Amino acid sequence: MQRFLSSSPEETEQIAERLAKTLSGNEVIAMFGGLGAGKTAFTRGLARGLGAGDCVSSPTFALVNEYEGRFPIYHFDMYRVATYDDLYTTGFFDYLGSGIMVIEWSENIEGLLPDEKMTVTIRPVSEEQREITIEGAQTI
Amino acid sequence: MRILAIDTSACPVSAALMEDGFLLGEFFLNTKTTHSQTLMPIVESLLRAAAVDIKDIDVFAVNTGPGSFTGVRIGTASVKGLSMPLDKPCASVSTLEAMAYGLPYDSGIACAVMDARCSQVYNALFRLNGHEPERLTDDRAVSIEDLADELAGYSERIYLAGDGAELCARAFDGRLTNVVLPPQNIRYQHAYGTACAAQRLIRENRLLSSDALMPLYLRLPQAERELKKKQSGGKPDQ
Ligand SMILES: Nc1ncnc2c1ncn2[C@@H]1O[C@H](COP(=O)(O)OP(=O)(O)O)[C@@H](O)[C@H]1O
Ligand SMILES: [Mg+2]
Repeated sequence: MQRFLSSSPEETEQIAERLAKTLSGNEVIAMFGGLGAGKTAFTRGLARGLGAGDCVSSPTFALVNEYEGRFPIYHFDMYRVATYDDLYTTGFFDYLGSGIMVIEWSENIEGLLPDEKMTVTIRPVSEEQREITIEGAQTI
Repeated sequence: MRILAIDTSACPVSAALMEDGFLLGEFFLNTKTTHSQTLMPIVESLLRAAAVDIKDIDVFAVNTGPGSFTGVRIGTASVKGLSMPLDKPCASVSTLEAMAYGLPYDSGIACAVMDARCSQVYNALFRLNGHEPERLTDDRAVSIEDLADELAGYSERIYLAGDGAELCARAFDGRLTNVVLPPQNIRYQHAYGTACAAQRLIRENRLLSSDALMPLYLRLPQAERELKKKQSGGKPDQ
Protein backbone atom coordinates (compact mmCIF):
# COMPACT_ATOMS: atom_id res chain seq x y z
CA MET A 1 0.00 0.00 0.00
CA GLN A 2 1.32 3.46 -0.94
CA ARG A 3 0.04 6.71 0.50
CA PHE A 4 0.49 10.23 -0.90
CA LEU A 5 -0.61 13.68 0.14
CA SER A 6 -1.56 15.95 -2.77
CA SER A 7 -1.96 19.70 -2.35
CA SER A 8 -3.37 20.58 -5.78
CA PRO A 9 -5.13 19.02 -8.77
CA GLU A 10 -1.81 19.25 -10.66
CA GLU A 11 -0.07 17.25 -7.98
CA THR A 12 -2.82 14.60 -8.10
CA GLU A 13 -2.33 14.35 -11.86
CA GLN A 14 1.43 13.96 -11.41
CA ILE A 15 0.98 11.07 -8.98
CA ALA A 16 -1.29 9.43 -11.55
CA GLU A 17 1.28 10.02 -14.30
CA ARG A 18 3.85 8.18 -12.21
CA LEU A 19 1.45 5.29 -11.71
CA ALA A 20 0.87 5.23 -15.48
CA LYS A 21 4.57 4.47 -16.05
CA THR A 22 4.23 1.16 -14.19
CA LEU A 23 1.27 -0.17 -16.18
CA SER A 24 1.58 -3.02 -18.64
CA GLY A 25 -1.67 -2.70 -20.56
CA ASN A 26 -4.59 -4.62 -19.09
CA GLU A 27 -4.88 -3.45 -15.51
CA VAL A 28 -8.13 -2.73 -13.73
CA ILE A 29 -7.83 0.43 -11.64
CA ALA A 30 -10.77 0.78 -9.27
CA MET A 31 -11.15 4.32 -7.93
CA PHE A 32 -12.93 5.14 -4.69
CA GLY A 33 -13.86 8.54 -3.28
CA GLY A 34 -16.94 10.74 -3.32
CA LEU A 35 -18.03 13.60 -5.53
CA GLY A 36 -15.24 16.11 -6.14
CA ALA A 37 -12.58 13.89 -4.57
CA GLY A 38 -10.41 14.10 -7.68
CA LYS A 39 -11.06 10.83 -9.52
CA THR A 40 -11.43 12.50 -12.90
CA ALA A 41 -8.35 14.63 -12.19
CA PHE A 42 -6.41 11.46 -11.37
CA THR A 43 -7.61 9.81 -14.58
CA ARG A 44 -6.50 12.90 -16.55
CA GLY A 45 -2.95 12.42 -15.25
CA LEU A 46 -3.09 8.70 -15.90
CA ALA A 47 -4.14 9.16 -19.53
CA ARG A 48 -1.43 11.78 -20.07
CA GLY A 49 1.15 9.43 -18.54
CA LEU A 50 0.01 6.78 -21.01
CA GLY A 51 0.61 9.13 -23.92
CA ALA A 52 -3.04 9.79 -24.66
CA GLY A 53 -2.65 13.57 -24.25
CA ASP A 54 -5.31 15.80 -22.71
CA CYS A 55 -8.38 13.87 -23.70
CA VAL A 56 -10.11 13.02 -20.46
CA SER A 57 -13.65 14.12 -19.77
CA SER A 58 -16.04 12.76 -17.20
CA PRO A 59 -18.03 9.82 -18.58
CA THR A 60 -20.92 10.34 -16.16
CA PHE A 61 -23.46 10.32 -19.00
CA ALA A 62 -21.65 8.20 -21.55
CA LEU A 63 -20.76 5.60 -18.83
CA VAL A 64 -17.53 4.80 -20.65
CA ASN A 65 -15.02 6.88 -22.63
CA GLU A 66 -12.27 5.32 -24.71
CA TYR A 67 -8.85 6.94 -25.17
CA GLU A 68 -5.96 5.76 -27.29
CA GLY A 69 -2.59 5.95 -25.57
CA ARG A 70 0.26 3.45 -25.39
CA PHE A 71 -2.60 1.07 -24.60
CA PRO A 72 -6.33 1.42 -25.03
CA ILE A 73 -7.83 3.15 -21.97
CA TYR A 74 -11.43 2.56 -20.92
CA HIS A 75 -12.67 5.19 -18.51
CA PHE A 76 -15.85 4.20 -16.67
CA ASP A 77 -18.07 6.18 -14.34
CA MET A 78 -20.32 3.90 -12.29
CA TYR A 79 -22.24 6.73 -10.61
CA ARG A 80 -25.50 5.71 -12.28
CA VAL A 81 -24.86 1.97 -12.18
CA ALA A 82 -26.96 0.23 -9.55
CA THR A 83 -27.56 -3.32 -10.74
CA TYR A 84 -25.84 -6.19 -12.49
CA ASP A 85 -28.00 -5.48 -15.54
CA ASP A 86 -26.79 -1.88 -15.64
CA LEU A 87 -23.21 -3.05 -15.51
CA TYR A 88 -23.68 -5.84 -18.08
CA THR A 89 -25.21 -3.40 -20.56
CA THR A 90 -22.22 -1.03 -20.36
CA GLY A 91 -20.24 -3.94 -21.83
CA PHE A 92 -18.03 -3.79 -18.73
CA PHE A 93 -17.24 -7.52 -18.66
CA ASP A 94 -16.28 -7.47 -22.34
CA TYR A 95 -13.62 -4.82 -21.80
CA LEU A 96 -11.78 -6.87 -19.14
CA GLY A 97 -8.32 -7.84 -20.34
CA SER A 98 -8.43 -5.72 -23.51
CA GLY A 99 -6.94 -2.51 -22.13
CA ILE A 100 -6.52 -0.41 -19.03
CA MET A 101 -9.82 0.03 -17.21
CA VAL A 102 -10.15 3.05 -14.94
CA ILE A 103 -13.33 2.98 -12.89
CA GLU A 104 -14.78 5.97 -11.08
CA TRP A 105 -17.41 5.23 -8.40
CA SER A 106 -16.17 1.67 -7.92
CA GLU A 107 -18.21 1.70 -4.69
CA ASN A 108 -21.27 0.99 -6.81
CA ILE A 109 -19.93 -2.25 -8.30
CA GLU A 110 -17.67 -3.42 -5.51
CA GLY A 111 -19.17 -6.90 -5.47
CA LEU A 112 -18.48 -7.36 -9.18
CA LEU A 113 -14.93 -6.04 -9.45
CA PRO A 114 -12.40 -8.67 -10.52
CA ASP A 115 -10.08 -10.00 -7.80
CA GLU A 116 -7.05 -8.93 -9.79
CA LYS A 117 -7.05 -5.13 -9.61
CA MET A 118 -5.46 -1.96 -8.26
CA THR A 119 -7.40 0.35 -6.03
CA VAL A 120 -6.96 4.11 -5.77
CA THR A 121 -8.77 5.76 -2.87
CA ILE A 122 -8.90 9.56 -2.74
CA ARG A 123 -9.89 11.17 0.54
CA PRO A 124 -10.33 14.94 0.86
CA VAL A 125 -8.35 16.26 3.82
CA SER A 126 -9.09 19.93 3.19
CA GLU A 127 -10.31 22.10 0.31
CA GLU A 128 -7.01 21.65 -1.55
CA GLN A 129 -5.55 18.55 0.06
CA ARG A 130 -6.18 14.93 -0.85
CA GLU A 131 -4.89 11.74 0.69
CA ILE A 132 -4.34 9.25 -2.11
CA THR A 133 -3.97 5.57 -1.24
CA ILE A 134 -2.87 3.13 -3.93
CA GLU A 135 -3.10 -0.62 -3.41
CA GLY A 136 -1.97 -3.49 -5.59
CA ALA A 137 0.46 -1.40 -7.70
CA GLN A 138 4.23 -1.43 -8.11
CA THR A 139 6.13 1.21 -6.16
CA ILE A 140 5.83 4.50 -8.02
CA MET B 1 -30.37 -25.95 -48.32
CA ARG B 2 -27.34 -23.88 -47.34
CA ILE B 3 -26.88 -22.46 -43.85
CA LEU B 4 -24.31 -19.87 -42.89
CA ALA B 5 -23.92 -19.95 -39.10
CA ILE B 6 -21.91 -17.63 -36.92
CA ASP B 7 -21.00 -17.41 -33.25
CA THR B 8 -19.54 -14.39 -31.46
CA SER B 9 -21.25 -14.93 -28.13
CA ALA B 10 -18.08 -15.17 -26.01
CA CYS B 11 -14.32 -15.09 -26.51
CA PRO B 12 -14.11 -17.35 -29.60
CA VAL B 13 -15.51 -16.37 -32.97
CA SER B 14 -16.53 -18.88 -35.61
CA ALA B 15 -18.43 -19.31 -38.84
CA ALA B 16 -19.69 -22.51 -40.43
CA LEU B 17 -21.15 -23.37 -43.79
CA MET B 18 -23.56 -26.30 -43.99
CA GLU B 19 -25.13 -27.77 -47.11
CA ASP B 20 -27.99 -30.26 -46.72
CA GLY B 21 -26.69 -31.30 -43.33
CA PHE B 22 -23.09 -31.64 -44.51
CA LEU B 23 -20.44 -29.41 -42.94
CA LEU B 24 -18.72 -27.79 -45.93
CA GLY B 25 -16.38 -25.68 -43.86
CA GLU B 26 -15.78 -23.99 -40.56
CA PHE B 27 -13.52 -21.19 -39.38
CA PHE B 28 -12.74 -20.90 -35.65
CA LEU B 29 -10.57 -18.31 -33.94
CA ASN B 30 -9.97 -17.91 -30.22
CA THR B 31 -7.72 -14.86 -30.00
CA LYS B 32 -8.44 -11.76 -27.95
CA THR B 33 -9.18 -9.67 -31.04
CA THR B 34 -12.50 -7.85 -31.13
CA HIS B 35 -15.19 -9.74 -33.03
CA SER B 36 -16.12 -6.58 -34.90
CA GLN B 37 -12.72 -6.82 -36.60
CA THR B 38 -12.53 -10.58 -37.17
CA LEU B 39 -16.05 -11.74 -38.02
CA MET B 40 -16.50 -10.30 -41.51
CA PRO B 41 -13.05 -11.35 -42.80
CA ILE B 42 -13.77 -14.84 -41.45
CA VAL B 43 -17.17 -15.04 -43.18
CA GLU B 44 -15.68 -13.70 -46.41
CA SER B 45 -12.76 -16.11 -46.52
CA LEU B 46 -14.92 -19.07 -45.58
CA LEU B 47 -17.34 -18.34 -48.43
CA ARG B 48 -14.52 -17.65 -50.88
CA ALA B 49 -12.60 -20.81 -49.95
CA ALA B 50 -15.75 -22.90 -50.24
CA ALA B 51 -16.64 -21.16 -53.53
CA VAL B 52 -20.11 -20.31 -52.26
CA ASP B 53 -21.73 -17.00 -53.09
CA ILE B 54 -23.49 -15.22 -50.23
CA LYS B 55 -26.58 -15.02 -52.48
CA ASP B 56 -26.75 -18.82 -52.39
CA ILE B 57 -27.21 -18.93 -48.62
CA ASP B 58 -30.77 -19.95 -47.69
CA VAL B 59 -30.68 -19.43 -43.93
CA PHE B 60 -28.49 -17.27 -41.71
CA ALA B 61 -28.04 -18.69 -38.20
CA VAL B 62 -26.58 -17.01 -35.14
CA ASN B 63 -26.21 -17.59 -31.42
CA THR B 64 -28.38 -14.80 -30.02
CA GLY B 65 -27.49 -15.50 -26.40
CA PRO B 66 -26.75 -16.03 -23.68
CA GLY B 67 -23.29 -14.53 -23.88
CA SER B 68 -21.28 -11.36 -23.60
CA PHE B 69 -23.23 -8.14 -24.09
CA THR B 70 -21.10 -6.87 -26.95
CA GLY B 71 -20.48 -10.26 -28.54
CA VAL B 72 -24.12 -11.21 -28.80
CA ARG B 73 -24.91 -7.81 -30.32
CA ILE B 74 -22.15 -8.04 -32.91
CA GLY B 75 -23.38 -11.48 -34.00
CA THR B 76 -27.04 -10.54 -34.10
CA ALA B 77 -26.45 -7.25 -35.92
CA SER B 78 -24.12 -8.91 -38.45
CA VAL B 79 -26.64 -11.60 -39.33
CA LYS B 80 -29.39 -9.00 -39.60
CA GLY B 81 -27.17 -7.04 -41.97
CA LEU B 82 -26.27 -10.08 -44.10
CA SER B 83 -29.78 -11.49 -44.38
CA MET B 84 -31.82 -8.31 -44.81
CA PRO B 85 -30.69 -7.20 -48.29
CA LEU B 86 -31.04 -10.79 -49.54
CA ASP B 87 -34.43 -11.15 -47.87
CA LYS B 88 -33.46 -14.50 -46.33
CA PRO B 89 -34.73 -15.93 -43.03
CA CYS B 90 -32.70 -16.19 -39.82
CA ALA B 91 -32.32 -18.86 -37.17
CA SER B 92 -32.02 -17.59 -33.61
CA VAL B 93 -30.06 -20.23 -31.70
CA SER B 94 -29.35 -20.55 -28.00
CA THR B 95 -25.59 -20.52 -27.45
CA LEU B 96 -26.03 -23.27 -24.86
CA GLU B 97 -27.95 -25.49 -27.26
CA ALA B 98 -25.33 -24.94 -29.97
CA MET B 99 -22.73 -26.24 -27.52
CA ALA B 100 -24.74 -29.39 -26.84
CA TYR B 101 -24.89 -30.11 -30.59
CA GLY B 102 -21.11 -29.87 -30.65
CA LEU B 103 -20.66 -32.73 -28.16
CA PRO B 104 -20.47 -35.94 -30.20
CA TYR B 105 -21.47 -38.35 -27.45
CA ASP B 106 -24.19 -40.98 -27.66
CA SER B 107 -25.10 -40.93 -23.99
CA GLY B 108 -24.72 -38.79 -20.92
CA ILE B 109 -25.63 -35.22 -20.02
CA ALA B 110 -24.39 -32.06 -21.74
CA CYS B 111 -23.91 -29.31 -19.19
CA ALA B 112 -23.35 -26.05 -21.10
CA VAL B 113 -21.94 -23.31 -18.88
CA MET B 114 -20.89 -19.75 -19.66
CA ASP B 115 -19.20 -17.60 -17.06
CA ALA B 116 -21.61 -14.84 -15.98
CA ARG B 117 -19.21 -13.59 -13.24
CA CYS B 118 -19.74 -13.55 -9.48
CA SER B 119 -19.97 -17.36 -9.19
CA GLN B 120 -22.90 -17.55 -11.60
CA VAL B 121 -23.16 -19.32 -14.92
CA TYR B 122 -25.57 -19.26 -17.82
CA ASN B 123 -26.56 -22.89 -18.08
CA ALA B 124 -28.79 -25.48 -19.68
CA LEU B 125 -28.75 -29.28 -19.48
CA PHE B 126 -29.35 -31.66 -22.37
CA ARG B 127 -29.49 -35.46 -22.63
CA LEU B 128 -27.15 -36.74 -25.34
CA ASN B 129 -28.26 -39.62 -27.52
CA GLY B 130 -26.04 -39.49 -30.61
CA HIS B 131 -28.68 -37.53 -32.55
CA GLU B 132 -30.27 -34.29 -31.42
CA PRO B 133 -29.65 -33.24 -27.83
CA GLU B 134 -32.80 -33.46 -25.75
CA ARG B 135 -33.35 -30.34 -23.68
CA LEU B 136 -33.77 -30.99 -19.93
CA THR B 137 -33.88 -27.39 -18.66
CA ASP B 138 -34.50 -23.90 -19.99
CA ASP B 139 -31.58 -21.54 -20.50
CA ARG B 140 -31.09 -19.91 -17.12
CA ALA B 141 -28.64 -18.16 -14.84
CA VAL B 142 -27.69 -20.26 -11.80
CA SER B 143 -25.07 -20.14 -9.10
CA ILE B 144 -22.33 -22.73 -9.52
CA GLU B 145 -23.27 -24.12 -6.09
CA ASP B 146 -26.93 -24.67 -7.03
CA LEU B 147 -25.83 -26.28 -10.27
CA ALA B 148 -23.56 -28.68 -8.36
CA ASP B 149 -26.51 -29.71 -6.17
CA GLU B 150 -28.70 -30.29 -9.21
CA LEU B 151 -26.04 -32.30 -11.05
CA ALA B 152 -25.67 -34.60 -8.04
CA GLY B 153 -29.03 -36.03 -9.16
CA TYR B 154 -27.52 -37.46 -12.36
CA SER B 155 -25.55 -40.69 -12.28
CA GLU B 156 -24.52 -40.75 -15.95
CA ARG B 157 -21.50 -38.92 -17.36
CA ILE B 158 -21.78 -35.14 -17.44
CA TYR B 159 -19.88 -33.34 -20.20
CA LEU B 160 -19.05 -29.70 -19.53
CA ALA B 161 -18.90 -27.22 -22.39
CA GLY B 162 -18.44 -23.47 -22.68
CA ASP B 163 -16.14 -20.85 -21.22
CA GLY B 164 -17.40 -21.73 -17.73
CA ALA B 165 -16.34 -25.38 -18.11
CA GLU B 166 -12.97 -25.11 -16.36
CA LEU B 167 -14.47 -22.90 -13.67
CA CYS B 168 -17.16 -25.50 -12.94
CA ALA B 169 -14.75 -28.42 -13.17
CA ARG B 170 -12.65 -26.78 -10.45
CA ALA B 171 -15.68 -26.00 -8.31
CA PHE B 172 -17.08 -29.54 -8.65
CA ASP B 173 -13.72 -31.21 -8.06
CA GLY B 174 -13.96 -34.09 -5.60
CA ARG B 175 -17.75 -33.85 -5.35
CA LEU B 176 -18.97 -34.92 -8.77
CA THR B 177 -16.78 -37.74 -10.04
CA ASN B 178 -18.85 -38.26 -13.20
CA VAL B 179 -18.05 -34.82 -14.62
CA VAL B 180 -15.87 -34.77 -17.76
CA LEU B 181 -13.99 -31.86 -19.33
CA PRO B 182 -13.98 -32.64 -23.09
CA PRO B 183 -11.06 -31.69 -25.37
CA GLN B 184 -10.84 -28.07 -26.53
CA ASN B 185 -12.09 -28.64 -30.05
CA ILE B 186 -15.52 -29.54 -28.70
CA ARG B 187 -15.42 -27.76 -25.32
CA TYR B 188 -16.18 -24.29 -26.71
CA GLN B 189 -19.11 -23.25 -28.83
CA HIS B 190 -18.62 -23.61 -32.56
CA ALA B 191 -20.79 -22.30 -35.36
CA TYR B 192 -21.12 -25.95 -36.43
CA GLY B 193 -23.40 -26.49 -33.43
CA THR B 194 -25.31 -23.34 -34.37
CA ALA B 195 -25.87 -24.73 -37.88
CA CYS B 196 -27.06 -28.06 -36.44
CA ALA B 197 -29.54 -26.31 -34.15
CA ALA B 198 -30.70 -24.19 -37.10
CA GLN B 199 -31.56 -27.37 -39.03
CA ARG B 200 -34.00 -28.26 -36.30
CA LEU B 201 -35.51 -24.76 -36.34
CA ILE B 202 -35.95 -25.06 -40.12
CA ARG B 203 -37.69 -28.40 -39.73
CA GLU B 204 -39.96 -27.03 -37.02
CA ASN B 205 -40.76 -23.94 -39.07
CA ARG B 206 -39.34 -21.57 -36.46
CA LEU B 207 -37.21 -19.24 -38.54
CA LEU B 208 -37.39 -15.47 -38.07
CA SER B 209 -37.24 -12.49 -40.39
CA SER B 210 -34.17 -10.22 -40.13
CA ASP B 211 -36.39 -7.67 -38.38
CA ALA B 212 -37.50 -10.06 -35.67
CA LEU B 213 -33.99 -11.31 -34.81
CA MET B 214 -33.06 -10.02 -31.34
CA PRO B 215 -30.37 -10.64 -28.73
CA LEU B 216 -31.61 -12.90 -25.93
CA TYR B 217 -30.90 -11.81 -22.42
CA LEU B 218 -31.03 -13.81 -19.19
CA ARG B 219 -31.39 -11.93 -15.93
CA LEU B 220 -29.18 -12.72 -12.96
CA PRO B 221 -31.38 -12.17 -9.90
CA GLN B 222 -28.77 -13.60 -7.56
CA ALA B 223 -26.02 -11.33 -8.86
CA GLU B 224 -28.17 -8.33 -8.09
CA ARG B 225 -28.26 -9.34 -4.45
CA GLU B 226 -24.51 -9.91 -4.51
CA LEU B 227 -23.86 -6.38 -5.76
CA LYS B 228 -26.11 -4.84 -3.12
CA LYS B 229 -24.79 -6.95 -0.27
CA LYS B 230 -21.25 -5.84 -0.93
CA GLN B 231 -22.39 -2.25 -1.24
CA SER B 232 -24.10 -2.12 2.14
CA GLY B 233 -21.43 -4.25 3.78
CA GLY B 234 -18.65 -2.21 2.21
CA LYS B 235 -16.87 0.92 3.29
CA PRO B 236 -18.92 3.19 5.51
CA ASP B 237 -17.50 6.40 4.01
CA GLN B 238 -19.80 8.87 2.24
N1 LIG C 1 -5.37 18.04 -4.43
C1 LIG C 1 -6.39 17.97 -5.30
N2 LIG C 1 -6.48 16.93 -6.15
C2 LIG C 1 -7.51 16.84 -7.02
N3 LIG C 1 -8.51 17.73 -7.13
C3 LIG C 1 -8.48 18.79 -6.32
C4 LIG C 1 -7.42 18.95 -5.37
N4 LIG C 1 -7.65 20.10 -4.71
C5 LIG C 1 -8.77 20.62 -5.20
N5 LIG C 1 -9.29 19.84 -6.16
C6 LIG C 1 -10.53 20.13 -6.91
O1 LIG C 1 -11.45 19.06 -6.68
C7 LIG C 1 -12.20 18.81 -7.83
C8 LIG C 1 -12.01 17.38 -8.30
O2 LIG C 1 -12.88 17.15 -9.36
P1 LIG C 1 -12.96 15.77 -10.12
O3 LIG C 1 -11.60 15.32 -10.48
O4 LIG C 1 -13.93 15.95 -11.22
O5 LIG C 1 -13.56 14.86 -8.95
P2 LIG C 1 -14.36 13.49 -9.07
O6 LIG C 1 -14.13 12.92 -10.44
O7 LIG C 1 -13.78 12.62 -7.98
O8 LIG C 1 -15.80 13.78 -8.81
C9 LIG C 1 -11.75 19.79 -8.90
O9 LIG C 1 -12.59 20.92 -8.88
C10 LIG C 1 -10.36 20.17 -8.41
O10 LIG C 1 -9.98 21.47 -8.81
MG1 LIG D 1 -15.54 12.26 -11.94
